[in-house]
Amino acid sequence: MVEALIEIDSLVKIYPPSTIAVKDFDLKINTGEIHSVIGENGAGKSTLMKMIYGLTERSSGKIKINNRDVKFTSPQQAVKYGIGMVHQEFMLIPSYTVFENIILGVEPTSKLGIIEKKEAEKKIKDLIKQYNFNLKLKSKISEISVAAQQKVEILKLLYRDVDVLILDEPTAVLTPQEIEDLFLRLKKLRYEGRTIIFISHKLDEVLELSDVITVMRKGEKITTLENNNLGKAELAKAMVGRDVIFSIDKTKANLGDVIFSAVNLNYKDANGIQQLEDVSLQINSGEILGVAGVEGNGQYELVRAISGLLDLDYGEIKIKNKNIEDLDILKRRREMAYVTQDRKFMGSAQDLNLMENSIMTHHRLNDELSYYHPVLLSKSASIKFADNLINKFKVISESSKQPISSLSGGNQQRLIVGREFMLSDQFIMLDNPTRGLDVGSIEFIQEEIINKRDKGAAVLLVSADLDELFSLADRLLVMHSGKVVFNTDTARTNKEEIGQYMLGAEMSDSA
Amino acid sequence: MKKNILTGILGIVSALVVGLIILFIQGYPAVESYRQLFNYSILSRFSFFSTLAKAAPLILTGLSAAVGFGSNVVNLGQVGQLLIGAMSVTVVGLFINLPAVIMIPILLLTAVISGALYSGLAAYLRVKFNMDEFITTLMLNFVAQYFTLYLITGPLIDKEMNSPMTQQINSSGWLPMLNSLETTIFISIIISLLIYFIWHNTKMGYEWKVMGSNNTFALFGGVKIDKNYVRVMLISGALAGLAGAMLIMGGLQHRFLKGIGANYGWDGVMTAVVANNSIIGTVIYGLFFAVLQTGSMGMELETAVPSEFVLILQAITVLFVVASRKSAYLLLNKMSIILKIRQLRSGGEPEENELDD
Amino acid sequence: MNLMIELIRSTFLAAVPILLASLGGTYTYYADIFNIAMEGMLLIGAFAAVLGSYFSGSWLIGLLAGVSGGILAAIIFTLFAVYLKTDEFVTGIALNLFALGATTYLLRQIFSVKGAFTSSDIIALPDWHIPIIDKIPIIGELLSGYPFLLYISFLIAILVEFHIFKTRFGLRLRATGEDDSTVDSVGINSDLIKSKAILLSGALSGLGGVFLSLAYVNMFAENMSNGRGWIALAVIILTRGRPIGLLFMALLFGFFDGLGFALQNTFIPSQFTQMVPYLATLAALYFYSKQKKEKIKEELEDESMAV
Repeated sequence: MVEALIEIDSLVKIYPPSTIAVKDFDLKINTGEIHSVIGENGAGKSTLMKMIYGLTERSSGKIKINNRDVKFTSPQQAVKYGIGMVHQEFMLIPSYTVFENIILGVEPTSKLGIIEKKEAEKKIKDLIKQYNFNLKLKSKISEISVAAQQKVEILKLLYRDVDVLILDEPTAVLTPQEIEDLFLRLKKLRYEGRTIIFISHKLDEVLELSDVITVMRKGEKITTLENNNLGKAELAKAMVGRDVIFSIDKTKANLGDVIFSAVNLNYKDANGIQQLEDVSLQINSGEILGVAGVEGNGQYELVRAISGLLDLDYGEIKIKNKNIEDLDILKRRREMAYVTQDRKFMGSAQDLNLMENSIMTHHRLNDELSYYHPVLLSKSASIKFADNLINKFKVISESSKQPISSLSGGNQQRLIVGREFMLSDQFIMLDNPTRGLDVGSIEFIQEEIINKRDKGAAVLLVSADLDELFSLADRLLVMHSGKVVFNTDTARTNKEEIGQYMLGAEMSDSA
Repeated sequence: MKKNILTGILGIVSALVVGLIILFIQGYPAVESYRQLFNYSILSRFSFFSTLAKAAPLILTGLSAAVGFGSNVVNLGQVGQLLIGAMSVTVVGLFINLPAVIMIPILLLTAVISGALYSGLAAYLRVKFNMDEFITTLMLNFVAQYFTLYLITGPLIDKEMNSPMTQQINSSGWLPMLNSLETTIFISIIISLLIYFIWHNTKMGYEWKVMGSNNTFALFGGVKIDKNYVRVMLISGALAGLAGAMLIMGGLQHRFLKGIGANYGWDGVMTAVVANNSIIGTVIYGLFFAVLQTGSMGMELETAVPSEFVLILQAITVLFVVASRKSAYLLLNKMSIILKIRQLRSGGEPEENELDD
Repeated sequence: MNLMIELIRSTFLAAVPILLASLGGTYTYYADIFNIAMEGMLLIGAFAAVLGSYFSGSWLIGLLAGVSGGILAAIIFTLFAVYLKTDEFVTGIALNLFALGATTYLLRQIFSVKGAFTSSDIIALPDWHIPIIDKIPIIGELLSGYPFLLYISFLIAILVEFHIFKTRFGLRLRATGEDDSTVDSVGINSDLIKSKAILLSGALSGLGGVFLSLAYVNMFAENMSNGRGWIALAVIILTRGRPIGLLFMALLFGFFDGLGFALQNTFIPSQFTQMVPYLATLAALYFYSKQKKEKIKEELEDESMAV
């Protein structure tokens, strides 16, 4: 048998105080293969890779590269051994150019420490040509698309001439067309003799791309399989630990009156960019409207405009025939539930406890949380409210007095979703409500969304996850450059078509 | 809570040890100096009462900073607000004379309002023009310093005195003594309880706490940030202004002297910081720093250690308490990892292990 | 005419401590370290300079001592803020109080005085009379005969600009400030970069302190930095850390400082003229904020999105 390129022996990672992220993990990766590591969110895939890459310190265990024990304390050492990694959240400096990002850390300099551009520029330009990357060296990262940013990340590794590329969930941010493009490039790299470790939780992609698949669950290795004639259901079961239903039970939409409508929303930001241009939409009672789009095409502005976090230049927003565009945030929150896209920075206060995180917004709208006088906040009523919320939304916790940061991501999000769902039954706005969660929490939250719809709520669902949109939404909108470029019943379209619109391809002939 | 007490004690003890070493190196009788420090601050009734008198304004400036920082409002203008409060009390106390039952409340109210107006100026600049309060309050400190200095060297100077100061305010505005205990401490304690109640039992206090932890979350949740910001700023300034009143209405001088309250502003900031903006913590550390400051005089008297030594000791205490809070946390984490691995190796069952990727 | 020349000369002189402290603070600004300790670093630098100069009888030792004092303060800052992960704001506050306490204490301990220490044994920094130019009337008076450190500090401003924007260290420094985890991910130790930035700010602020106590005046007084560290911080915010911009802003503040000085002998009470630099800071901040208001609001709204 050929000696493995990377060999991992009973690797352990424990996050304080006692979370076991990776447990006694063994793995062999051979030269020239595309080796996928799959597992659901929170299974410990990223942690495993970060240990290989020297970014996270292991708690115990061994890593061998080319049969030599290594203990990297910095990614620089990993790069010396020819290993590079593209992180799930890109590691790029937004205000720097493509060129500066690529050379950062390996800058060619003169004796005085002054950066010498010439040779590096030539090398990078050659690489761009060779791999057909279509990037300009002088573009700022903040001004190029997410897909282009990913190309920069890969280019960074090629510039460092690595043999092993680790890619952590690289397809999460891409449209179907862009994924296709990425896979072609990865296959070319393998053909040249490089090794690729591909991290994902999407089974179709893994089956299409990989030579070998390792399944990971709750920090442990379940199995490693050669990819020939593997079935999706079988993999899914190994990954989740039980049978998985690929489609969600959803009855046909039972439409009622128009609950929510927005007409001609326009917004130009401080840099003069038209972030929203004549956006109009309406949602009926009992309907889920999904909004698709590559991130940064106005979806976030739309959500903020509706919730009152941003002042529109022009436009009208109504909930149940009542204009809300001039109301302050709190008054709007009387009419709507709003699950923000980022639970740590927008949806919760991480230092505070579950009770304090539960009563936000309710503290002003729910009279039961007060006593004697409306300015006072009743502690006992708040705790009761929080306990009720925790029960109802199955938040696994010890007490409402523990800080929210001590909960897992999934449980935090259940609390947040619960808090918002208890605010309103008529209009619910969700911005990527299941991003980064474990399968159990995703299923739970998606079911709750459908329950709300079936009870007659109008739901606006913004999501970067096409699977989620297709399984939940009754109707789909696609946003591109601040405009709605496509509007259709979900049943009448497919991912490829939506992908085309997301890239702004066929703007003229919309249905 | 328990952890805060532990790390607090750890920090204080290690700071005292470092202080001891410094004294020792410089050739002072280190242990004896410390003994005198406590002798002159808590070990007799008289010295303890002096400590309480010292603590009264310190707790108020501490609360001023704690309420601000705890709500994500960086008011560093305690120095200026205290001076303006003290000066307003002096002016009113010089020119108005009413029976004490009316006079004292009027003077206290004067201090509260003038302190709030001065911090309100910074709040206005922030809300209206988005000028960072942390710089404006600092600059306004200097303006207040020079302005009050002008008043006591010019229009309000007591010509019979050698150094710049005003005349004594009317004696109806003096706070009474209670068996040689200054009543200022009671005012500070009542105010502390009030602030504690607001912080923990009102919707407003809840919103401030959330703002202090995550302003964006508060905003998204419908909290009116600007309105709360102004309120916090006004209360913070009022507290510092009230501290100024204590300096004029309490004590023995009853007049505005040059350099009055020089340390109280920054010591208040320090107190809040070391208490991690907790209200109870601020009161406790306020008392502790008052012990050091009062005792320093005794130390100078008995063992010739310059009283400024406690300034160093205070700064070291802040660093050590705050650092030990963090280090204890890291240390505990390290230990728990080691224990967990041992448990794993001996075949123990792991607990739930979800986490974010 | 004479008054004008005086005003211009005092502008240059008053600008230097603010300039040096803000140049130091620029490094920490770009490393995204909330460094409010320049005030304390200036003070320690000024004290150490007097100490060194007085006991050695050499201005050079004084200068080196001042810089070392600033670096010492920076080491304490680094130790707590970078390696013990203590809050930067807290560390800065504590360090400023420590600087005030330690210099006041040592002033009494070593020199047995309260308030201020002057002595003819404190050797001041030498002046530099520029050859030829020195002889030209008016221009010579305007440009020549300042303490040599003044010329050097202007040169440092240019060097810092170059260092931050053209060199490898600068590239890494600014990257660290923008996103330190990215910097770590490409194998650069971001803590080390931050430490270097703090040490540089300590050294330059210390140098500012040297100028204060061995050139601007020739003495040490309690709390003699008197808010210059804070003004330096404001200057950095106002210029977004561009060293050349700092140079002009520092000169502007030097001008107001000098103006206050020049107005001292008029009918305006000196307390009001001494307020001028602080009021000028507020005014500058006002114009800056007015211009940036919309932009900042937008950034605040987007801040949370960029995570």
